[in-house]
Formats: sequence, C-alpha cells, structure tokens
Amino acid sequence: MIFSELYSAYYNTVASIISRLLDGENDEKKLHQIVSEKAFGESALTILPALKGEKWQLMRSDMTTAISRKPTMPLTLLQRRWLKAISLDLRIKLFGVEFEGLDGVEPLFTANDYLIYDRYSDGDPFDDEGYINRFRFILAAIRERAPIKIALSNKDGNSTFTKCIPIRLEYSEKDDKFRLITGGCHFLPVINLSKVTSCSRYNGEYKISTNQRDVQYRTVTMEITDERNALERVMLHFAHFEKRAEKLDGNRYTVKIKYDSNDESEIVIRVLSFGPLVRVTEPSRFVNLIKDRLIRQKNCNLR
Amino acid sequence: MSAYSELVKSFERIRAYMREFYVYGFKSRDDYNRKSARSYDDERRRMESWLGEHMSFVRTPEGKNVFISIDSRSSRHNPFYNAWKAKSFTDGDITLHFIIFDILYSPEVRYTLSDIMKMIDGEYLEGFSSPLMLDESTVRKKLKEYCEEGIITTEKQGRKVFYHRTESPDIEALGDVLDFYSEVAPCGVIGSFLLDKGGAHSESFTFKHHYITSAMDSGVLVGLLDAMQKKSVVTVSNLSRKCDEPRRNRIIPLRIFISVQNGRQHLLAYQPDFDCIKSFRIDFLSDVRIEEPTPRFDELRAQLDGMQSKMWGVNIKRSRHGEEKLEHVEFTVRVESGEDYIVRRLEREKRIGKIERLDDFTYRFTADVYESNEMIPWLRTFICRITHMSFSNRTVENLFKSDIKEMYRMYGIEADV
Repeated sequence: MIFSELYSAYYNTVASIISRLLDGENDEKKLHQIVSEKAFGESALTILPALKGEKWQLMRSDMTTAISRKPTMPLTLLQRRWLKAISLDLRIKLFGVEFEGLDGVEPLFTANDYLIYDRYSDGDPFDDEGYINRFRFILAAIRERAPIKIALSNKDGNSTFTKCIPIRLEYSEKDDKFRLITGGCHFLPVINLSKVTSCSRYNGEYKISTNQRDVQYRTVTMEITDERNALERVMLHFAHFEKRAEKLDGNRYTVKIKYDSNDESEIVIRVLSFGPLVRVTEPSRFVNLIKDRLIRQKNCNLR
Repeated sequence: MSAYSELVKSFERIRAYMREFYVYGFKSRDDYNRKSARSYDDERRRMESWLGEHMSFVRTPEGKNVFISIDSRSSRHNPFYNAWKAKSFTDGDITLHFIIFDILYSPEVRYTLSDIMKMIDGEYLEGFSSPLMLDESTVRKKLKEYCEEGIITTEKQGRKVFYHRTESPDIEALGDVLDFYSEVAPCGVIGSFLLDKGGAHSESFTFKHHYITSAMDSGVLVGLLDAMQKKSVVTVSNLSRKCDEPRRNRIIPLRIFISVQNGRQHLLAYQPDFDCIKSFRIDFLSDVRIEEPTPRFDELRAQLDGMQSKMWGVNIKRSRHGEEKLEHVEFTVRVESGEDYIVRRLEREKRIGKIERLDDFTYRFTADVYESNEMIPWLRTFICRITHMSFSNRTVENLFKSDIKEMYRMYGIEADV
C-alpha cells in the first residue's frame, strides 16, 4: 500500500526525536527544530504534545524513552520492488552502483510496462562508455565543487575548451538529455553533456568563481477560449511553469506564465500549438513574434 | 464533529483538490461545491501545511482564490510527494510500530507473539500514567500487516510462529540514484520515501520540462503496474468528462503511455465488453482492484505492440466491425539555408512518421495513423513554413486551415501580406 503511515513524515520525525533522546539530547527547542525540518507546517501542534502528553507512549514525562536503539525499519516490499525496477533502467549505468539484496524481488515495472511516446529521439547516449565516464567524473566534481577543464565540440564540429565549477546537472525528460549548469563560465553557462568530449580536474592557479549566470525571466500573458477542452489542455501543458490564472467571463480565461528568456523560441511554438484557442495579449514583443510567424505562414500560400 | 488534523485517512479526496489548485488555480471557495465549505477549508489548510511557500492566494471580486504555483525547474524534489506522507494513524499504531522494531532490532532476533506481548507490557509501557491497552489481537494484526508489507517475516518451528524483521538492502550509497529516479521514474514518490530514510547529501540534479502532477496519480499507477506484472484483470472506477458519476470498468491493463510534453498519463487497456484496446486517462481513474490473472495478457500486449507503429499519441480508432481505419497524413515544410535545426527537429520529433528531402529547401513528412487529429498541435509548431498539406481525413485538414485563418484574424493579419 503506497498511502501508508509507514512512509509518513510523522513516523520519520518521531524516529529522529527518539534517536535524539537516545543521544541524551532532550532540549525541547531542538526537538521542535526536528519537527519543523522533517514534518509539515502545523505538525508542531501535534507531534511534541502527543509525545509529551503520553498519547503516543514513546517518551516519558522525564523526556527519556523506553526504546533502546535508534529506530530503523527494513525496506518494504514496495520499496524493494521499485528499487529493482530502477536497477533495470538503461540510465542506471551512469551511476556505477551495485544493488544488493534484491535477488528474487519482482520489479514493480519493466521498460515494457510503460512508453514515453513523445520524447525526442536524439537523447544522450546513455550506454556509451565515454559518456558514462564523463558523467561520473562530472557528478563527482559537482559533489566536491571541484574546478574542471572541459573540451567540447561546437556546432561546427570544432573543439573548444573551458574551465568551470560544475554546479549541477539538469535533466530534460522531453529531450532525454543532461545539461551541465556551470559556475564561473559566463560564455558557457549551460553545456550539453553529450557535447563534452573530455574532462579533467583543473589544478591551475586561475581562481574560478562559483557564480552562475542569472536566469533572466520574462512573462507572457495569454487569453484562452475554453473550446475543445482548451483550458485543461493549456493549464496541464504549462503546468510546470510558475503561473497565475484568472477567469475573465463566460468561457474566457487569462493565464500569465513566467519563463526563462533563453527558452523563448520554445515557448512561442508551444503557444502556437494551441492554435486560435490561445491568443497572446502581452507583451507586444511576444505578440509580434507570433504575428511574424503567421505573416510568414501566409506567404507560404497554403491552400 | 471530529477535530481538524493535517493528516488524512484517504488520499482520494485530497487528490482532486490538489489538481484543481495546481492545474487551474482560479476557482474561488464558492466554486468548490462538491463538498461542504468546511471540507474545502480543511483541505486548503492541509495543503498550506504540506506545501508551505508554494501555496498562494489572490483576492478577486468572486472571493479569495487559492492556487499552487511551482516552477518545477527550480525544485529538486517534487513538493506534491508530501501529500503521500500525510497518512493518519492511531495512537496505538505509532506506539506499537516503534516498540515492535525495537524488540525485533535485527533479522537474527526472533520472538513469538507471546514473547513480544510480555516485553511490551513489561519493558515498554511501564512508567506511563495510563499505559495503552495493546491486546494480543491488536499486536497480531499489526504483525500480520507488517508481514504483508514485507518488513516482518514469520518462521514456523513446530507449532510456534516466530517473527523477525526482514533483511533489508543497504541504500546508503544510492543518494544520487534516488535523487534522479524519484523525479523521473514511474511512481517516483517511492524513491522519495527511500530518500527520507537516508541522511543529508549534496543534491546534484534539477529537472527541466518536468511535469509533477502525475505524483497525485501514484496510487493508481502502482495498482496498474502491479496488475501488469501479475498479468491480471483489474476493476477500476473511471470518471470521464462525459458523465458525472464514475463508472466501474473491468479491463486488462497493457501499458502506461506517458507524455513528457503535456504531463498526461494514459493507460492502454483491453476492454472485454467492447472487445477493443482503448486508452483511459490515469487522472480520471481510481480504486484499482486487482482480480484474477488472465491467459490473454501476452497476446493482447503483442497486439498493442503492433498497433504502436500507427499511433501518434494514445488513440486507436477502429470501425464498428473492429477493422483498422488508418488516416494518411502528409505535409511539406520550407527550410531556408541556415535552418538545419528545423531538419533536426523534424527528425527527432517525427515519432512513427517518415521525413523525405524533396529539394534543397523542402522536406515532406508522411505517416499513416489511427487519429490524425492528435498530430495537429505538433503541426502547428511549424506555422511559418508549411507549404502543403494533405490529410485523408478532410475534416481535420479543413479545421486546421480554418484555425489558421482565425489566427490571422485574431492577430490582425487579414490583408494579403
């Protein structure tokens, strides 16, 4: 059962509180801190009062516990089955880890049980040894915030070199690609991992900063006419952005979306994909991007 | 009247509210008329408690509108997973849980129920002013429940039944694996449960084009995946847009179809009543019950495999007599010099279609699909370069063309340019 108290924030929080009590720590402020870190906004109203009031008989009035060992729980069958399923995924090779203790466990799913049908077909080469080695090297460097040197091929096929602090890896499910977000490398703030041809530690004297490029956000406001289920389709399609929606009247709605300016061309075509059921109203610069495409389309003389 | 708690017994109620707050976010309290106003207030308060800063509100003439706004690119973990960690329990449940695992502290330690009862009474509940009454049947029931969850195992020796904790894999070194797969694998919330067990570690991943709403459907998905592993029939409630009340369906689940471009998940399943394979939106499904295994599973899945080369999305169209009905789609786009990225786009996005180069500046896409209408949103992304189109389904082609004319009108591009 997936919705179970075994996985609950409350059980995890109480486990941490008991561990702290066993360490001889019974300062109430610190216990409160555990609750605010591990549970929800209003959990403080419940967890410590339930323990102190002996509703949950795990902590005595003198702030000691009869539990003798720091609480642990084995993995549930559901957790083991999910782990087994991901151990069979193609991308798992990137991580170079061994899964032990899963012999005889049935996977919760296999690659045959689901299909991502609209993913782009030019994803990263996850079974390429060179790619795997570079991925692992960069992941380790991210953990250590270690400066690295990277050689990569540009769009003309020529090699280019850079130094940076690797900050994090960004994965796009649609593109099936990893991108490296760099620090201290203003001309290459984002690097497609598949373009990296080699990488190594940088031991030179030049001090690389960890500053990342500031994301320039823009907003676009659209008016939706709720025909052919457009409202739901638009709201789901743009669900992953920060957004605000309002009802105007009848079947008309307005939605404001905040996006990274580097992704503007992509946003333009995503808006276009809804045809006449979505009309961009602001800013005029974005309206003109749409208009420009429509004018060019009109010139195509499609009959 | 029971007191408010931030924990809930059933996920289904909260599932609908979360979706409405996140996907739409423009409804006022009065628009939520399915339940009482108090129920709305309680669910909103719970979500504020679980999601914290992601909840916002705005005042409009219609009242206060609550919405959830999350840029999933800036979150390293799906905030909706918190809802799955809010299951309610009794005082006895939590007390007994920690006592049982303290008694059965390693897989080698084995006790009978009566041993466990003696220890609970003698060692654990002493010192409390009003010790909880945990009788033998309650403890037996809890142990049985834990056996079903796979965290306790039984061993019989003669007439005695011994309980011990199950051996557990070490997940200490899996921090990066769990960070990644808890966001990209089906039922990623289970990875999030595993992350909760580990200590703090540096988090190295973020996610782009990341749809997080599917988290709300994890319960249904687990049921369907489990049924597929067991090659079993399921009964499931389906609330379609066409009717107000959910209908119970008996189906054979065959495959989950996931979209990474619109965040929707569908189940492709065989429906014996209509002798056809059809798609069901997973966010409309609830209450999955696994029934008996079916000998037809492999044959039906192979049938679906064969159909996939004719599916653009999730729809399968057949005539009333069960015959396949395919629609031919063809369009050409103009690619100027220096626009090689358009050719790359066509190649990587063509799915089951075919791309041909007609001349230096013209490329043709062709496909035969069950439902050409599904392709229209993609075709519109090439607006500005579509020079020719020919759909065997003339209605779809005509609608596309009239939509373009409507867009010219909307943006004031009426006159010839």
